[in-house]
Amino acid sequence: VKQLFWEAVLVAGVGAALAFAANAISPRGLRLARDYFPAPPSRTNSPSVNSNLVTGSLGATNTQSALVKLTSRIRERGLEPIDINRARQLFNDPGYAQQLILFVDARDDDHYRQGHIPNAYQLDHYRPERHLSEILPACLVAQQIVVYCNGGDCEDSEFAALFLRDSASVPKEKLLVYVGGFTEWATNGLPVEIGERGSGQAPQNPR
Amino acid sequence: VKNPQPTCACRWFAATAVLARWCLGGVFIYMGLVKALDPVGFLKLVRQYDLVATPILLNSIAAALPWFEVFCGLLLVAGVAVRGSALMLLGMLLPFTVVVFQRALAVAGAQAIPFCAVRFDCGCGNGEVLICYKLLENFALMVLSAWLAAGFGRQLSLRYQLLHPKRAETGPLAPQAPLERKSR
Repeated sequence: VKQLFWEAVLVAGVGAALAFAANAISPRGLRLARDYFPAPPSRTNSPSVNSNLVTGSLGATNTQSALVKLTSRIRERGLEPIDINRARQLFNDPGYAQQLILFVDARDDDHYRQGHIPNAYQLDHYRPERHLSEILPACLVAQQIVVYCNGGDCEDSEFAALFLRDSASVPKEKLLVYVGGFTEWATNGLPVEIGERGSGQAPQNPR
Repeated sequence: VKNPQPTCACRWFAATAVLARWCLGGVFIYMGLVKALDPVGFLKLVRQYDLVATPILLNSIAAALPWFEVFCGLLLVAGVAVRGSALMLLGMLLPFTVVVFQRALAVAGAQAIPFCAVRFDCGCGNGEVLICYKLLENFALMVLSAWLAAGFGRQLSLRYQLLHPKRAETGPLAPQAPLERKSR
C-alpha cells in the first residue's frame, strides 16, 4: 500500500509538471496569471437558459424572463445592453460605413469565420493580443461600439467590452452590448459575412 | 508446484483486465485531448462550478488537468506505473463525480425537472450529455480504475510498477496468467 501511495504521488508530480509544460508550449495554452473573467460567474448560467434562449425553444414567458435577467446582468456590470432593433438601426446608420459606429465580434476564430456581422472586427478577449493592433485605432475613432457574441447566456461580449473599457481605456459611454448576439441576428435574416473581415462573402445557405 | 498452467478462465480474466486497462487509458487520452485542444472552452466550463476563488487556481486547473488526463491515459495504455496511475484516476474521478452530481441536483431543483432529465456540458470532454448517463459512465470508470489499482491488468505492461519492479514480479500480486509468449 505504501509503495502504491508513493507511485501515485510520483505519477501526480511528474504528470503535473508535464501538464504545465504542455500548456506552456501549446499555442492554445492558457496564461496562468491572467484574469480571463473580470466579473463573477453569472447565476443565470443554467444550461437551459444558455441553449434554449438561443434556439428559442423556451416558452415566450421564460424567454422574456431570461432576457430580463441577462439585461440586468449586463447593466450590473456597468455596460449598456441593446436589442436587435437598436443593433439593426446602428448597422444601417451611415456612420457605420464611416467607421463612426463599430461592430465587434467577441467570438473565437472558428465562429467568426463561419459568419459574422459584415465588417465587424474580431476581438477574442481570451487572446486579445492578436487583434488589438487593428481594433484599438478603430475604437479610438468610433463614437459607438457594439459588442456581441453568440447571444443567449454567452458572456464573451461582456468580457470583451469590459476588456476594452478597463484595459484599453475605451470610454464606457461608447460601449454597447448586443444581447441577442449573432444567433438572433442570423436567424432574423440580417446580413452575414463569412471568412475574413470585409470579404463581402455571404454564406452559401443563409439561414 | 512452480508455474502452474493457467486455466482458460484465468486467461480470459487476465485478457479482460488488460483490455480494461487499454480502454480506460484510451478514454482518458481522448477526453483529455478534447479539452486540451480547447482550453478556453474547458476554462469556461470549470468556472461554472465556482470551485475556486482566484483566477490563477482556476486557470491552473483548466490548463493542467486535460494534459494530466492524457498523461495518465498514456501510462495506462503503455503499462507504466499502472496501479499508481489508476489510483490517481480514481482520485480524480471521485471529486469530479461529486461536483457534477451537485450541479445536476441544483439544475434539477432550479428548473423543477426530474434529475435524469438534466442535461448539460459538464466539462468532461464529451459535450452536452444527460447527467444520469454521465454519472453511470463515471461509476464504470471508477470501478475499472479501482480494479486496476487493486493489481489487475498487469500483462503486456512496459513497467507495471515504477518503484521496485523486481519485487512486484515475485510478490503476492505477481502475474498468474501471462499473455506474453514465453521465449525462454
